[in-house]
This record gives sequence, structure tokens and C-alpha cells, in this order.
Amino acid sequence: MILFVWVLSLFGFQAEQQDTVRLQEIEVSAPIFKTFGLGKKQLNWDETALENYQSRSLSELLQEKSPLFIRQYGPGMLASPNFRGTSAGHTAIFWNGIPINSPSLGQSDLSIIPLAAPDRIDLIFGSDGALLGNEALGGSILLQSQANFQESPTASISQEVGSFGQSATAFQAGFSGEKLAFQTKIYSQKAENDYTFRDLSLPGTPEKTQTHSAFSQKGIQQDIAWKINPSQRLSTSFWYHLADREIQPPMGSDTQDTQEDQSFRLSLEYLKFWDKSRLEVRSGWVRDDQLFNQSFNQNSSFFLSGDWEGDIGKDWKIRLGTRGSHIQGNLSTYSATDQRLETYQFIRFSGLKNINLSLNLRQLLVEQKWQPLLPSLGMDWILNPTFSLKASIARGLKVPTLNDRFWEPGGNPELLPEESWQGETGLKWKKGSFHSELTFFAMDVENWIIWMPKGAIWSPENIRRVRNTGIEWAGGTEFALGSTGIKIDLAYNYTKAINRSNSKESPTFWNKQLPYTPVHQAQGGVELIQDGYSIRLSSQYIGQRATTLDHSRIMDPYSLYQLHLNYKKLWLGPVQVPISLRIENLFNKSYQVLYLRPMPGRSIHLNFKFQL
Amino acid sequence: MTKNLFKPFLISFLAASLFACSESEPERPLGEYEQGILIMNEGAFGVNDGEVFHLNTNTGELKSNVFELENGRPFAGLLQDMILEEERLYLVANTGKVEIVDARDFKSIGSVTGDLDISRSLTVNSGKLFISDYGPYAPDFSTPDSYVAVVNTQNGVLVSKKIPVSRKPEDMIASGKYVLVASSEEGKVEIIDAQTEEIFKTINVEGRPMKFFEANGSIFLYSITSEEVIFYSFHLDNFTLATTNYYPIINATGKIAVSPEGVAYMLTSSGWPDYQDGIAKLALFGPEIDLNWYTGSGFYGIGYDPIAQEIYVSNSNGFQGNGSVTILDKEGTEIRNFEVGRGPSGFLFR
Repeated sequence: MILFVWVLSLFGFQAEQQDTVRLQEIEVSAPIFKTFGLGKKQLNWDETALENYQSRSLSELLQEKSPLFIRQYGPGMLASPNFRGTSAGHTAIFWNGIPINSPSLGQSDLSIIPLAAPDRIDLIFGSDGALLGNEALGGSILLQSQANFQESPTASISQEVGSFGQSATAFQAGFSGEKLAFQTKIYSQKAENDYTFRDLSLPGTPEKTQTHSAFSQKGIQQDIAWKINPSQRLSTSFWYHLADREIQPPMGSDTQDTQEDQSFRLSLEYLKFWDKSRLEVRSGWVRDDQLFNQSFNQNSSFFLSGDWEGDIGKDWKIRLGTRGSHIQGNLSTYSATDQRLETYQFIRFSGLKNINLSLNLRQLLVEQKWQPLLPSLGMDWILNPTFSLKASIARGLKVPTLNDRFWEPGGNPELLPEESWQGETGLKWKKGSFHSELTFFAMDVENWIIWMPKGAIWSPENIRRVRNTGIEWAGGTEFALGSTGIKIDLAYNYTKAINRSNSKESPTFWNKQLPYTPVHQAQGGVELIQDGYSIRLSSQYIGQRATTLDHSRIMDPYSLYQLHLNYKKLWLGPVQVPISLRIENLFNKSYQVLYLRPMPGRSIHLNFKFQL
Repeated sequence: MTKNLFKPFLISFLAASLFACSESEPERPLGEYEQGILIMNEGAFGVNDGEVFHLNTNTGELKSNVFELENGRPFAGLLQDMILEEERLYLVANTGKVEIVDARDFKSIGSVTGDLDISRSLTVNSGKLFISDYGPYAPDFSTPDSYVAVVNTQNGVLVSKKIPVSRKPEDMIASGKYVLVASSEEGKVEIIDAQTEEIFKTINVEGRPMKFFEANGSIFLYSITSEEVIFYSFHLDNFTLATTNYYPIINATGKIAVSPEGVAYMLTSSGWPDYQDGIAKLALFGPEIDLNWYTGSGFYGIGYDPIAQEIYVSNSNGFQGNGSVTILDKEGTEIRNFEVGRGPSGFLFR
């Protein structure tokens, strides 16, 4: 139906479009984390940067291009983020401003967030509960999709085929008239994952073929924007996603588990602009259905928020807002609801020469219980045209998940929220085509929730105190040698996440790096661009990881390499046909991200795109 | 052949006697693992990091991950049981395999890696392996297709037959040409004729039958309910119940260690939400009983060292990393505590 509407829109408005003088786009101010999230490390990928990842998942992008460590159980299997040494549940994830982490699990599986859907992705590093709300302890991931005005009609279809039965199809089309803008994305991805691996669980460690790790995903996203008048806009997005997976067992097991995940996400945003202020009303609905074997779990969440943002004089910008959330969980062992109300106030002061300051506050009320006040303070200081300094201090908070509180048996309604305090400072340097950013952070996480066995029943408790410290460096350059453009990017992370002493765990677990948290990570890439061709060689290094808190088993470090070849100047009449070839795990490295979870060797993927 | 908690000690004793009386036999140096204590570490669910540790009781040296050390590959399974039979050590993984190693040097000599589901225990009879197995989980996580798998050689390889038994078979013991199977969920002891590979007889018992052991020349069965524990013994000529004794020990977990003198040490746990663990002690052939002989939390396995006359109790430490073992003397006084592998659940004293 949505496709039908889009087709009508495309052909119905095509002629009008060509004769229309485009209106100036409504001035939309920067997202809140740009305006008020001062002193924080941020990373982003726009539509162009995501172009080569349309057939892949968010987990793959973050593994290749970000300093996050992704705990991955196999290709296409559960993948969870490890931001600055925190756990998967300490990362807030938003789509069009709506939290999309499962309220029962408190986390998202990055393997089933395909990059065919979002137009832009932002990473905000570190704690910032004041700015971003619940779950923003280690960091936040913001996905954005929207229909754009002022664009020529666009349409593209891409087809990718690759090793191990991989294929992906993605269709995208966009159109805007004077008042309405549409964007439709339809995608389908699948892989047999029938790669070979050396089975360490069997005598002689024979080579075997993976037989139970196939997956398929498909979905549709529809974005519509309506320019009601020059000062008002209404936009909505709908995203349906379905993933079917065979759950890959670890070596030594032959389980035949299957999992189906189905998500419905709807966002609705109304914007009203005045000269120096704006009103935002946002609503959202998310429903996640999960069928694990025969066990069915469903979560649904409804959000409604209202924000006012305005300039006070020339130096102050203020944003005031409130959000209500209604969460319903119907799990295999319990049903529960959760009502939340939060208010927030953000202030930005630009009255000092070359210095911008921000002060943010958020107060959360969960089931009529006040949670700790969440403040954050940030500063960006432009020292000179070459150097700038950033610094921030912020508190983060994670309300115990529905499972933590209500799972039957074992749920613990008395749990306290997990809390963090983080400080970070960084120095940015940019001269000519060179750039570098060095960040230091220190974070304390308290009341870290761990599920512990109590006889045959597992139950969560506030157990751990963790101190996370680290250094993140990223740098690069772009220049030309003759007619060849060259891009080089490098990054290195040093992350310590130390489990401090506590009364509930064995002393052998104290003062140790958390499991599956590499101290050292590095990545880099070189890209050569000439006359429509480009070739990029990139690599990631993941350092040693302990599998348990006592470090009785240390997993080997590994390096992976990818080669991307692109050609963008092939035209078939009016149709541009970019072609890309991608080789992953170029040197066929045998490796495991998690113990006894073999990953695939070298794979080759060919992608054609037909683009109007 | 039979299996019980102190049989390894008897084997060692017999072997020692044999060597002592046979001066003409060439002396064979003891294998590294023929002496001491093997500690079974179950591993964590979904991680398959079960392993065996070895404690040399002469030197005090603790060797970790013995299977991987001696075979150059990880065990890669959840270690459910560890059975010693004629210098072969059978490592039963509830992830559906049995690794067979030479008990002297831990080198792999065979395996059963196919056609098993949730294996629980093993015994040897008539040159065959009998492996109790829950069978595959049904969608509602019940186990309607439990079985005892038969393997026709003592070095493993292929399952030749599956004998259907009652739900959730656990421990087994051999007697003559018969194999007794404790089927825990339905309260039955099923007796298999090892030669015909058929169920010969079924005995109904109360509670959840968990463990067989030998004491005072008889085979005993340990069965639990939430309110009491029950010890059965059998007439082995016609496989009928000989004695049934009830003891008011509540919340027993099914883990038990028995001394050669017939003193039983049983793990108890109040479970969630209070989670008070303990060890109850009673004399099978006397009036003594102590319901709270030792208390604590996180108890996961228990063993009795017949040589040092000490009790070994293991703690899982919440499966967040390695577990630990506490050694107690006969009065329940802590002698020593040391770190072992993940999810320590049982011991083999040699």
C-alpha cells in the first residue's frame, strides 16, 4: 500500500515537480546533541558514508568503522555493543528520537538493524542521561531517517550476491513536491552462512560446514513529510522489520534453536517555528515480537513528548521538554506495565569568546518513584584555528529492565537503577588536510546488575562497581597525488574496565578487566580515488579478551582486513550503475570474537546498483 | 562393573595390592593423573567451557584445563559426569557427546560425538557403553523422548541403539549383566539387560531418584523430595526393593558424597529467594543425623576423599568466572580453599 502511494506520488507529481520553483527548506536547527551535547566525543555517518553498507547491518558498520567492540555470536547472530567497556544494556539506541531498545531486555541486537533503513547514524560517546535519558551510560546510537524536500526524485535498486549464500536487495525511492516529501525503502537480506570452520570440539579438529546459522531479514520503511506552511511541518516514519534466524550453536553443541523477530516502529513529529523559538511535539510507538522456538515475547511502548526551544538574547539557548512513556511487556513468564514521566531542561551559553557551555538536567519518574537527578555540564573551547578543547562531566542512569524486575521466577522488584558518573576531555587538532582528536575519559558505574544463580533460579542483583578509563585517538588526512585522491584514517583505543571490590563476588574477580573487553583496539584504512574508481583497504585490530572475570582464559587478538573496490561512472542511458566488489576477511583469518563461536573466513560480495 | 563415589579408591587399592603381591611383574610408572583428585568443572551454559582440573595430593600442584592441555583442543562442552572404568575415563557432556581419555595420561582414545542430545551419565557393561540421555527438548521444554544410548565398543564412536526410558534419566549403575537407570522425573528405576538391550524390569520409587552408590556390599539409591530424602537398597538377585529409609532433610539438591563407612553428606538449598545452602550429614548404618552440618551459599558440588577423610565442597561463584573448592575435615572445619574451574560440580578421588 505504501509503495502504491509512493508510485502514485512519483508519477502524479512528476510533471509538476519539474516546473516548480523550489521553496527554501524550512530552517531546522541542529539536533539536540549538536547544540547541547558539548564536550562529548561524537561520530556520524551520513547517507553518502552509508552508501557502501546498505546491504549490511549496524553491527558490521560499527565493527569496521567505530571504536566500539561488538560482541558477536556469529555472522547475523546476536551482536551487542560494548561502549567504553560498559555492557550491551548501557547503550541507548534511538530511531527518529524514539528509544528502540527492548524494554524487557534493555538492549538491542545490532545484527537486526539493517543499514538499508537509516539515512544517518550518530554515535554519542559516554554517559549523558541528562541529554539522552535512560540507558545512556556507555554511549548512545541515534538512527535517523526522513523524507527530504528540495531533492530531485531519486530511485535506486541494488542487488548484492556474496559468498556463503549471501544476497541482499534494496530499493529506495524519494520524491518531494512543494508540500509533501516521500521516501520509501524496501530491503531483503539473507545468508546461508554455510562457511567452513575447524571444529575444535571433535577429535582431530576436522573441518566442518556450519549448518544451522542461516538468516533472512526483510523490511520496509516509509518516510513522509508535510510542509503545512512555512512555519509548520509534520513528518512521520514507519518501519517494519522481520528477521528469521537459525541460532548458531557454539562448537560442541548441536542445538537447533530458531528465532523470529518482528518490529513495528512508528514516529510522528510536529514542528512549529517562530523567529527565535520552536515547538516540537513527538510521538512514537514501537512493538517488538519475538518468537524463540515456541516461546513468544512481546513488548510495546508508546511515547509522547513536547519540547520548546528558544534563544534568550544572543548568548543563551534554552530547551524545555517533557516526555511520557507507557510500556507494556507480555513475556512468556509474566506481563507487566511501566509508566514513566521525565522532564528535562537544556541550556547553552555562548557569551564567552570562543567558548560554548552547556548545562543539562533531567528528572525521571518511573512508576511514581523519583529517580536520581541527572545533570551534565559540557564545554567546547576553540583555542585557536588549529586546536579546540572539549570537556564534560555527566551522569547516566539505567532503570532495571522489565525482565530484571518481573521475570518469573527470579525477577527482583527491589533493584536499584544502575548509575554512572563520567568525565571526559579531548583535544581536537586540524591543520590543512590533517586532523586528529584525542579523548580521555573516566567513568564509575555503580549498582551494575548481574544475574546470579540462587539454586536453580537465577535472579538479578545490584552487584558490581566498575571503573572505566580510557584514551581514544582518531586521525587522518586527505590529499591528492596527481589525479589520485588519497584518504587515510587511523584510530586507536585504550580501554580499562576494572571490576572493583564488592561484597557479593569472589575476591578473585576483583580489580580485573571485565570479560570480553579488549584493552587495545585499533583500526585504519587507506583509500585511493581516481576517475570514478576507488579502492579502499581497511583493517581492525582487536586485542586480547578474557572470557571470564578471573581471566582464566584469554582469547587471542586478531586483525581483520577488508578490500572495497568501487566504480561509479558506469551509465546505462540515464541510469547510473555503481558497481562494488567487497572482500571481507581478506587474508582468510580463522578467528572467534566469542569463545567457541567460529566466524567466517574470506568472503567475496559483488554489488550492482541501478540509480536514477 | 559398578560405579560409585569411592570405587576409584577401591580400584587404586586393588591395583596397589596387585602390584605389591606380584614381584615378577615389571613396575609401571604411575601416570600423571593416576594419583590425586580430578575436579569436574561443568562450565557455563552457552559457553561450553567445561574442563577437568587435577590436584596432585602429593605435591599440592593444581593443574588446570587438563583435557585441553593433554589433547591440544578444548573440551568444548558442558561436563556433566566423569566415570572411571578400567583405566578409561569417560567425560560425559550434556551438550551431547562423550570424550574418552586414558585415565593415566588423559590422552584421547575415543569419543561418541553423534546421535546424542542431553547426555547425563554413563556406565559400562558387557563391553558396551550405556549413556543416559534426556533426549531432545520438546517445544515446552519437556523431555518425552528420553533414552539410554548403547555404544558397542568401550572406545566409543557410534550409537547403535536407543532404549526408550522414563523422563530425565540420571545416574546408572551396573550389576551383573544388568544396568540400573534412575529416571528422575517419573520416579522409576528401570533395569536394562545389557545383553538384550531391553528393559528387563521397572521399579517405582518415591521422589526423584538421583544417584546410585555402593555401601556395605549393597547398591543404594538416593532419591529426593522437597520434604525428605529417601535411601533405597535392592535385592540384586530379583531386583526388588530391600530397604527404604526416610530422613527429614528438606530442600536436598541431589548432590551427595558417601564415605566408605556409610556416612552421607548431602547438599541442600533453600533456593530462591532466600538462597541458604547447606550440607546435611547422616549415618546410613547408625542413628546420627545432622540437618545443618555446614552452611553457606553457592554450593554446587560435593565429594568425599576416602584417603584423607575430608569433604570437598565446591562453589560456583555465580558462574561469573572460576569457582572454588573448600576442604572440610570430619568436624566441618575449613582446612583449605582454592580456585578451580568454572562451575565445579564433582570430584574423582584416586
